Amino acid sequence: MSETGENYTTFNSRTLVEVVGDVTDEALKATKIKQLLSVLAGRFFNWAGRKSLFTLHLGIKCCAIEMAASATPRFDGDRFGVLFRSSPRQSDVLLVNGPISKKFADPIVRLWEQMPEPKYCIAMGECAISGGPYYQSYNILEGVDTVIPVDVYIPGCPPRPEALIDGFGKLREKIIRIGGAPSTGREGDKPIIVGDD
Amino acid sequence: MAEMWITMGPQHPMTHGLWTLRVKVDGETVTDTEAELGYIHRGVEKICESRDFTQITPYCDRLCYVSAMTWAHSYIMAAENLLEAEVPERAEYIRLMAAEVQRLASHLMWLGAFGPDIGNLTLMTWCLRDREMFLDLLQELGGSRMHYNYPRVGGVKRDIPIGWANRLKAKVKLFENRIKEYEMLLDESTIWLVRLQGVGYATAEDQIDAGVTGPNIRAAGVNVDARWTNPYSVYDQVDWEPAVEKPTSVKGADCYDRYRVRMEEMRQSCRMLLDAIEKIPGGANTHYQPGDEMLITKAPTRAPEGATGFSTYECTRGVSNFYLQGGGDGRGKNPYRVSIRSPMFITIPYVAKTMIGYKVADIPAIMGSFDPCIGETDR
Amino acid sequence: MGTTISLEQNAAAAKAAAENLTERFSDAGMTVEVIAHSAGKKFEFVRITCSPSQWRAVAKHLKHELGVNHCAMVTGTHYPEGSAERGWEVAYHMHRWPIQDVAAHTMTVHKGESLQGDDIPMEFEIFIPLEAGDSPSVPSVQDLWVGADWNEKETWDLVGIDFEGHENMHRVLNPHDSPTGFHPLQRQHKIRYHDFNEMYDDPQGFDRKPIDEGRVK
Repeated sequence: MSETGENYTTFNSRTLVEVVGDVTDEALKATKIKQLLSVLAGRFFNWAGRKSLFTLHLGIKCCAIEMAASATPRFDGDRFGVLFRSSPRQSDVLLVNGPISKKFADPIVRLWEQMPEPKYCIAMGECAISGGPYYQSYNILEGVDTVIPVDVYIPGCPPRPEALIDGFGKLREKIIRIGGAPSTGREGDKPIIVGDD
Repeated sequence: MAEMWITMGPQHPMTHGLWTLRVKVDGETVTDTEAELGYIHRGVEKICESRDFTQITPYCDRLCYVSAMTWAHSYIMAAENLLEAEVPERAEYIRLMAAEVQRLASHLMWLGAFGPDIGNLTLMTWCLRDREMFLDLLQELGGSRMHYNYPRVGGVKRDIPIGWANRLKAKVKLFENRIKEYEMLLDESTIWLVRLQGVGYATAEDQIDAGVTGPNIRAAGVNVDARWTNPYSVYDQVDWEPAVEKPTSVKGADCYDRYRVRMEEMRQSCRMLLDAIEKIPGGANTHYQPGDEMLITKAPTRAPEGATGFSTYECTRGVSNFYLQGGGDGRGKNPYRVSIRSPMFITIPYVAKTMIGYKVADIPAIMGSFDPCIGETDR
Repeated sequence: MGTTISLEQNAAAAKAAAENLTERFSDAGMTVEVIAHSAGKKFEFVRITCSPSQWRAVAKHLKHELGVNHCAMVTGTHYPEGSAERGWEVAYHMHRWPIQDVAAHTMTVHKGESLQGDDIPMEFEIFIPLEAGDSPSVPSVQDLWVGADWNEKETWDLVGIDFEGHENMHRVLNPHDSPTGFHPLQRQHKIRYHDFNEMYDDPQGFDRKPIDEGRVK
């Protein structure tokens, strides 16, 4: 059962977990319950998770101040479930709020890869969408979508906190539609641009 | 004892921006540090060589984004030196009021970010709520909450709206009571005092040698402020004093002194604003049309080759300088070279060295008390 | 109000500083001028033009005799169309502020009117023209002012001017793996989309390939 040639005469907890997992997997594959569960649970998780988006605490430039302002009493993003987490391992949404320089391209890709699926990316502000006022610069990438896939674009320089909260609203609609799909498979999706009504 | 390097990397809740602080720790004590900047280097100096003098103002707003009016004002002063433009007095008063309102907003943003570093999350909600009051005032002037593009070479873009001065007066009076609330919350809190006092000593002479200016120097007991040492605008006509703190120790200013200096600066800004409303020529409740000679003079748009302009300005975080050389593209319509001195570019390496000898838990306190803003650091 | 410096104090201080410098460095090659800003309060400052070989002596004199304690800005400029003697220029901007001999645990409140002599704040501008060529170089003043350290690093990083005697020179703003010899503020490097016409073809740069790196279009 185990490819590493474990000696099952010593029955430890790791062995127990492997044995139980293998047996359950085989049983589920034999019936349609696994498919049923993944459809139901997927929809259920999308429905539950869309209003509880943990955003990574990343502040690149000016839009980060508007992001902070949207968490304050006047605009209060927290009532929509937007909470900031310090570690990428614990967050769902990467909110890119500034220009990405060549030095930061590698760290932001690593932050994106460290986030567990399902994960979403919001490009906030002109600099993250297309390089913004620095589109001619030798050091700025022309938009964060050159390195990571973006789900929602929020134009503005900087976008008002209301626009950011609307962006989260549009992201919620997208999650209901395709929430569980892995982030690598969403390229053909029509981009959502806030204000594009 | 084994020492190790820890990277407080670009993405870190404490760093107030994107930079890396590598600390070498021996247990909990910091033995060495290294700062790495440049994560949002946008090449603004290069881009500005292809821009008109008026087109550069929005770039200067985005240099230090929490105090956009002061940076735009600093650049415009250098551009006026380069182009030899005069500024009418009413425009100077309006610029002064805008800069001081911006100083209030910036210090509130600082306190709103510094409090959570120490653990006081209430401050973030209170300070950002009060900052919204002043952002509304600046939005009436410039159109946007954060990047105003408001000063022009030779004056200002448009006049203060009718009723703006009354709103400003009411908000400033309300805010003076709010400062008392903040001090009541903080100065009587044991945690605040224990975490800030005795941490992060810096003397005035070391700081000026390293190039650190602004409230950080005034916390160390010397009242050097570019608003009076290199006078500009109408600061000599309004009623104010530089905010200076006596350092509590012979070893220099600690984080508590730097916090107190900024609270005092907020009070002085309030005082300046109330005085400027009384003294503005033309009255605070008259509204001149854009382009009126009370607001802007016709300034030359081209600078010949060989002309230079230089400004020394007291921004919220220190002294900022702009050095412009004329004679660029378009027969002088663009500058040939724009050089920006950011106070934080010099302060951050200095602060990294100040941390040596303290504990890892003191790092956010020291870092936050110097008020870093990375936008202006990596231009 | 009340603490500010007057025009007369400023003019007197500028004149005194200029005379001191001219007297000390009256040999050839160095010019000292007192120039007024052309806008605002029209205060005066001291502008020095010297050659790289004199720079260390001038810097030491400024620091020790004239009390210049703040190295504000180091700017490097590239003049590819300049003369043979001025293909590059380094501009140092310095300030003198009354922060000398500060006693510990005291508060010094200067009153502008009562400042005298070397205590009066003054701005200094030092231009050092360098010969045209590929390797401009200026002696470093890192040991005199700590504030010059990172300023010089930035000037080398962006403009390519070498600072002799500068320890631990490294890239500060550009990435560490930038190609050697890549100093973006030199005039031969153009910004992306140099003219607006180029933008219309491919504004988002979707058709750009890695081989287009560094090419304008």
